[in-house]
Amino acid sequence: MANVRVTPRGGGAELTLDAPDGRPLMEVLRDSDTGVIGTCGGMCSCGTCHVYVKDAWIGKLQPRTPDEEMMLEGIGELVEVRPSSRLSCQIEIDASLDGLEIEIGPIA
Amino acid sequence: MSATAETVKSQQPINLKILLESQTLQRAPFPVPVGWYFIDYSDNLKAGEMRLINLFDQEWVLFRTESGQKVGVTDPYCPHLGAHIGHGGKVCGENIRCPFHHWEYNTEGWCQKIPYAKVMPPITKRQPILRTLPTVEKYGMIWSYFHPNCEAPTWELPYIPELEDKTGYAGKRRGSWSANTCIQEIAENGVDVAHLRFLHNAPMIPPVEATYDGPRMVLNIGQGYIVGHTYGPGLNVMRFTQMNPATNKPCTSTMISFTVPVTHDKSQMNMCFRHVDYPEGSSELAFSKKQIDHMIGAAEGEDSAGFESVDFIVWNNKRFRPNPLLCDGDGPIFPFRKWFSQFYVNADPAKTGVPAKA
Repeated sequence: MANVRVTPRGGGAELTLDAPDGRPLMEVLRDSDTGVIGTCGGMCSCGTCHVYVKDAWIGKLQPRTPDEEMMLEGIGELVEVRPSSRLSCQIEIDASLDGLEIEIGPIA
Repeated sequence: MSATAETVKSQQPINLKILLESQTLQRAPFPVPVGWYFIDYSDNLKAGEMRLINLFDQEWVLFRTESGQKVGVTDPYCPHLGAHIGHGGKVCGENIRCPFHHWEYNTEGWCQKIPYAKVMPPITKRQPILRTLPTVEKYGMIWSYFHPNCEAPTWELPYIPELEDKTGYAGKRRGSWSANTCIQEIAENGVDVAHLRFLHNAPMIPPVEATYDGPRMVLNIGQGYIVGHTYGPGLNVMRFTQMNPATNKPCTSTMISFTVPVTHDKSQMNMCFRHVDYPEGSSELAFSKKQIDHMIGAAEGEDSAGFESVDFIVWNNKRFRPNPLLCDGDGPIFPFRKWFSQFYVNADPAKTGVPAKA
């Protein structure tokens, strides 16, 4: 279990979500009315679960896979992609992520 | 080869109980074998044409691109949301288009277009996502490689002068026959020389030499009378050589046989027949045509019978015995079966006599 601190899309009041171990972060965000859609279900093929990770957390996550890189590169032509950009379907929750801070990314 | 035969035999000892049992036997207890197979003659598929075919125990979408240059054989079900591409799909340029959302795929199964996606899913840039069969055009025909696990071909189709040389050969005769059994059972007749004497009424049981080399087998029946080159389950080139009494010289005619599994226990046997391009009216031409008559059925003035008249009644009604009782005059059945087993993936050892692969 990890507490994840979520800044809404474009800013606003932060909320804290309980994220169970083993679930992709995308599912927690999708099920908590944060505006994350997760159309492809976690197959790294739609880019609708884009989040920005707070800088302190970037190095603590598993690195991007080649597919995630390609998807981020693709949506980079439509929205702002930063070094801190991740697809939240590719982040699996575990206790080491307790306190993770993210901001929901813009809709492509 | 005898060591191989003994190895196979010793794993399945003959006993009376097995010989008396028939009700658990199956006509063709094998999966569809791996190999290159004839799909159709090239001139039967026009540029931009799409149609459904049933082969290898499933439906496939066969199409030729609008340029005419490429032929695709694809699984019918779109990897997007499962629509059947063969019902309402169409050829668009060099691609086949699914009717449901107009996703387009090329002949190798790469997704080339999703008309409403802002970003193509990354996997579409890395690999094909629609199952297709590796397909080539050769001999004026369309050929595809079937492997149940979609593995790439490990060998290529051979050069066949009778079909590929621009000049020197002639003969338009073709045929196609359905057999209610699998290719292994049909092909086993090549090494079963004893049946030639009895089922076909040949004057004697001819000697046979079989040599095996990877997916290839060479059969020499009757010391050069019939020399057959087999390339996997789907292609067999048999050359019949006899003395032409009118010229006292040998004359060779060729039967090219390309059988395709429609299902695991039903096969379509396709054949074409070629001979040297002898002048019209020559005795050589007449002799060549008689040789070809003899391959198919009973030729004029002969008692023996070609495959058309006698083999089907056996093929269509027999059951495969994994543990047959053979006698000393039988041909090299077990080495043939051992060779053929390389074309199976996940065969049932008890029903097929094929040892499980390590």
